[in-house]
Amino acid sequence: MSLPQFRLLRPRALNEAIDSLATHEGNVRVLSGGTDLIPSMRQKLFEPEYVLDLHGVTELRGIRPQSDSAVEIGALTTLSAIEKSSYLRRHFSVLTEAAATVASPVLRNMGTIGGNICLDTRCLWYNQSLTWRKGCGYCIKKDGDLCHVAPGGTKCWAAFSADTPPALLCLNAQIEIVGPNGTRRIPLKEFYTGDGEKYRTLLPTELVTRVFLPRESADYHGVYRKLRVRGSIDYPLAGVAVVMKHSNGQVEDARIAMTAVNPAPILVQRAGEMLIGKVIDDALAEAAGDIAARTAKPLTTSALTPEYRREMIRVFTKRAVLAAASN
Amino acid sequence: MTDFSIIGKPTAMVDAAEKTTGAGKYTDDLRVPGMLVGKILHSPYPHARIKSIDTKRAEVLDGVIAVVVGKDAPNPYGILPVGHDEHALALDKVRYVGDNVACVVAISESIAEKALELIDVDYEVLPAYFDPEESLKAKTHLIHDNKPGNLEKDYHHAFGDPDKGFAEADHRAEARFIANEVTHAAMEPHSTLASFELDPHTGEMGRLTVWSSTQVPYYLQHKLSLVLEMPMSQIRVIKPLVGGGFGGKSEVIPLEIIVAVAARKAQAPVKITYTREEVFWAHRGRPRTIIDLKTGIKNDGRITAVKARVVQDGGAYCSYGVVTILYSGALLGALYDIPHIQYDGYRVLTNKPACGAMRGHGTVNVRFAFESQLDELAAKIGMDPAEIRQRNLLKPPCITVNGLRVQSYGLPECIEKTVERSAWKQRKGKLPRGRGLGIACSHYVSGAANSIIRSDMPHSTVNIKIDRDGGVVVYTGASEIGQGSDTMTAQVAAEVLGCSLARVRVIAADTDLTPIDIGSYSSRVTFMAGNATLRAAEDAKKRIAAAAAKKMNCATEDIVFRDDLLLKKGSVVPPAKNDKSEEAEVTQGGASGSGRVEGQILRGSLQQKRKEEGPKEWMTFEEAVVAAIDFHGALTGTGSYAPPQEARGGKHKGGGVGPSPAYSYSAQVAEVSVDEETGEVTVHKVWAAHDCGRALNPVAVEGQIIGSVWMGMGQALTEEMIWKDGMLMNAGMLEYRSPSSVESPEVEPIIVESIDPEGPFGAKECSEGSLAATIPAIANAIYDAVGVRLHESPFTPERVLAALRAKRNAKNLNMTGGIDPTAPARLREHGGSLCFQNKGPERHALDPARSKNSLSSAGAD
Repeated sequence: MSLPQFRLLRPRALNEAIDSLATHEGNVRVLSGGTDLIPSMRQKLFEPEYVLDLHGVTELRGIRPQSDSAVEIGALTTLSAIEKSSYLRRHFSVLTEAAATVASPVLRNMGTIGGNICLDTRCLWYNQSLTWRKGCGYCIKKDGDLCHVAPGGTKCWAAFSADTPPALLCLNAQIEIVGPNGTRRIPLKEFYTGDGEKYRTLLPTELVTRVFLPRESADYHGVYRKLRVRGSIDYPLAGVAVVMKHSNGQVEDARIAMTAVNPAPILVQRAGEMLIGKVIDDALAEAAGDIAARTAKPLTTSALTPEYRREMIRVFTKRAVLAAASN
Repeated sequence: MTDFSIIGKPTAMVDAAEKTTGAGKYTDDLRVPGMLVGKILHSPYPHARIKSIDTKRAEVLDGVIAVVVGKDAPNPYGILPVGHDEHALALDKVRYVGDNVACVVAISESIAEKALELIDVDYEVLPAYFDPEESLKAKTHLIHDNKPGNLEKDYHHAFGDPDKGFAEADHRAEARFIANEVTHAAMEPHSTLASFELDPHTGEMGRLTVWSSTQVPYYLQHKLSLVLEMPMSQIRVIKPLVGGGFGGKSEVIPLEIIVAVAARKAQAPVKITYTREEVFWAHRGRPRTIIDLKTGIKNDGRITAVKARVVQDGGAYCSYGVVTILYSGALLGALYDIPHIQYDGYRVLTNKPACGAMRGHGTVNVRFAFESQLDELAAKIGMDPAEIRQRNLLKPPCITVNGLRVQSYGLPECIEKTVERSAWKQRKGKLPRGRGLGIACSHYVSGAANSIIRSDMPHSTVNIKIDRDGGVVVYTGASEIGQGSDTMTAQVAAEVLGCSLARVRVIAADTDLTPIDIGSYSSRVTFMAGNATLRAAEDAKKRIAAAAAKKMNCATEDIVFRDDLLLKKGSVVPPAKNDKSEEAEVTQGGASGSGRVEGQILRGSLQQKRKEEGPKEWMTFEEAVVAAIDFHGALTGTGSYAPPQEARGGKHKGGGVGPSPAYSYSAQVAEVSVDEETGEVTVHKVWAAHDCGRALNPVAVEGQIIGSVWMGMGQALTEEMIWKDGMLMNAGMLEYRSPSSVESPEVEPIIVESIDPEGPFGAKECSEGSLAATIPAIANAIYDAVGVRLHESPFTPERVLAALRAKRNAKNLNMTGGIDPTAPARLREHGGSLCFQNKGPERHALDPARSKNSLSSAGAD
């Protein structure tokens, strides 16, 4: 499968990049690590006239601890840099743990945190070659008007399948978005729409530039558990992140988020809240798992059956809660 | 003779350096002047009649040179003489999603892809069949008009008296097993380059040269000749480096024919390299197999009878199908002593890519069922699973009830060694909960005793040329596909001729240069091409010895060939070892270290000197070669191999498949743990003993054993082709989950050497026999760990968890429709485990499944 023809734009600075996006609005795809974009372009899921390669925008690279143990992470920071950052490991371990599970080592050397946050939703009926998609009559996310996993519906159910966003949601991360009209900063959870097709609130002229982890989220115990068939390479089939803080043996604060079982990563507010003020035991962890499982809406977008993936949300949440409580 | 200088020593592959440095050339690396790119248009429908194809819009696209369609080469072909049901490109019908409709030749891949979108094909969609048992009921819209009931072939064998055998049994077990469809997933996608030469006398297109990633250059040459209507002598097939085959390149794959037809029409060299998706469509892997198995045993563990009904979902074309279904039955024999066997095999056509040969061809799925059931019976009578296998050993030399001749038989030692190394007796049943050990055995042929084209021609022929430079060139048709056949060839020749490995150059798999070898499949190369090499080398050696004997004034049989020297028997250390200048020359094979290139002259004068000195106690290899050429005029050796008549099997219908001159044997113990909350299975270690006759190259044998175990583990745990209405849902390496290095367990290979009386230096096969044991060894270990018996592979976490829940009578989450294979229509509909619950694209109005649904819903109204 050949790459469709395109012109490569290589800005050297953020403002150049923003200008290019505005000039070629709607006709340009952004490339940071390229690990998802390039295969998708070969499959003709995107055939943009321009590809905007951000590699030259070095200002968006790097992990910058702030004085108060908050941290700012440039969107172009590679996942392996995050995985290996001792600062992040010390203060935001759930993020390093999640980053370390993404794909395989070589892909983490290329893939970036910004790319992981912006990752296109995935579905067995969507991530296929042009010939294949023609065979199934296309789908609602691309070229068609039918969703094969929830027929009759007019909504796309492609699953959001990135590993770091649930960790970031647990950490109450904010992201910086830069566009032609300036810079805005929003909580990460407002970034996702819950629709598999238009899965994020990012204008075609905007870029995600930075991730902020607040001081208040530092030093939580954090755990990420990922369901996959292979111990490497695979996207998550279900993923659960848990962070927890104790005082006097009781849970002072806890947050639980999950991925790969809905069109967006989801903070399961109720599951986290029910742990607060309590001492974690098996029954409590199980109860949190039940809530998470009920919130999950896995469909036949990936391998393993939806029923099994929902069940694993329950088991993994329980295990993650117990692990976070014990470490 | 066990005092070898080359054989039995761990030897690096002769092509290792070029592969590891990237210098080696695979087919896709090749470029010839004026070369164009071909791209194939595939069918989007599983079953449709082609009403018309209009290629005009594609042809006028700038950069398109030619568009090829079915009528450009309408002759049928197929790997088996009984299965000529394929065409280069579809003539009137497409039979699976991915079937080949047209081919565009263009100056670039992207232009060719664009042109594909401009070909207008008018299809009439037909009802399609995805499940073999449904397909067998078809009355109309047959996949092939000459195959009623979509039945490719069925066989019904009874050996001994099965009814009597079951009557004698004290215990019987009966169950249905399902092994889902898996594919080879070789690293290198198929690639073929075809180039015609202009005939210098007529200016017309003349000879054809094809470079292709194939295991079978000779068969490719033959099929090209059929389709192109050219004499075989005008077609040259060259096999460059091949990045793995596993059976997926053991027959003529559509692109190999299409590219030649395209090159003819475009009047220019054309190359096609498959995308990974196209590799999945070309497939030819292991079919989804439904096995209804019944076994009877006595109280003492002796097997009295086995009855198997096997249905294989063969896909849309015959491929090797008739052979696969026969292997499934025949290889019930030759592992254990089974007095009565009944076998009913059905190879069924469905609207999916054709299945064919894959590592362990035909035996793997039935072996999974058999070894699982034997384990179950052992539990029933309270016997150790290793012991029940020891109770049923053959007593070779013998001929099994289904006509297979067994001579060397290392299975007892294989079982003994795995049991010992895994501390089976001390640990079995004593591991903590969730952890278990399982044992299973398997075997495989060392080449089929009967070629797929019934004839008396030798299966392998090898020529050796030795010239005055002292170099040994071995010409063999055997195809190196990564398994090490070139290294094996060099080793055998060097051992016989007593020369160093560096002296031997292997020219392989080029139909212009090398004599016919029927190919690298059914694990035949070491045994057959090895024997041919051995004979060719012996032939050359005889000539050298005759000349040397004159010089050394002794009988030919008194000469020992060793370490690049010819010694008179009894003489101890050659004096040359003390002569520095001569030694340097010997070890460097003629190239003078001082930069003087006049090796010939040097040797000539050296000889002159020796001649004056009279008869010698010893000669260098080069001196002997020169003497032999002076004596005979030319120094060549030839050898060929055809399996002996006694090894060719019984006379019953289909009796030609299964017999082999020798069988390899394997016993394996797997240690696994099962997470009872998630159903995830982890394989910790596999002890794998393999009887390969003699390990010609132990490091290569160990590599093959480890590779077999690993590939078997993939089929056992993660690999499965998932279908939805004829659409392959996981046609890529991301979603088709071969294990990664993370899941790879420690494999302890144990080499067992039974020294076969007919194998070259006693060698048998080592590449396939071990795969089949891994799957049941893991299944049996899961049973040992958590007490559930899995009847469907792969043992995905959802299947394991569902089985665990069913055992505990816990809330049934209905996690897969495939757990109880006798029940759900849903499983059959999809032919896979992923339940789509009838969600998906509308089936065609005439589709049988749909008309059934609409009837029932009409009734509900």
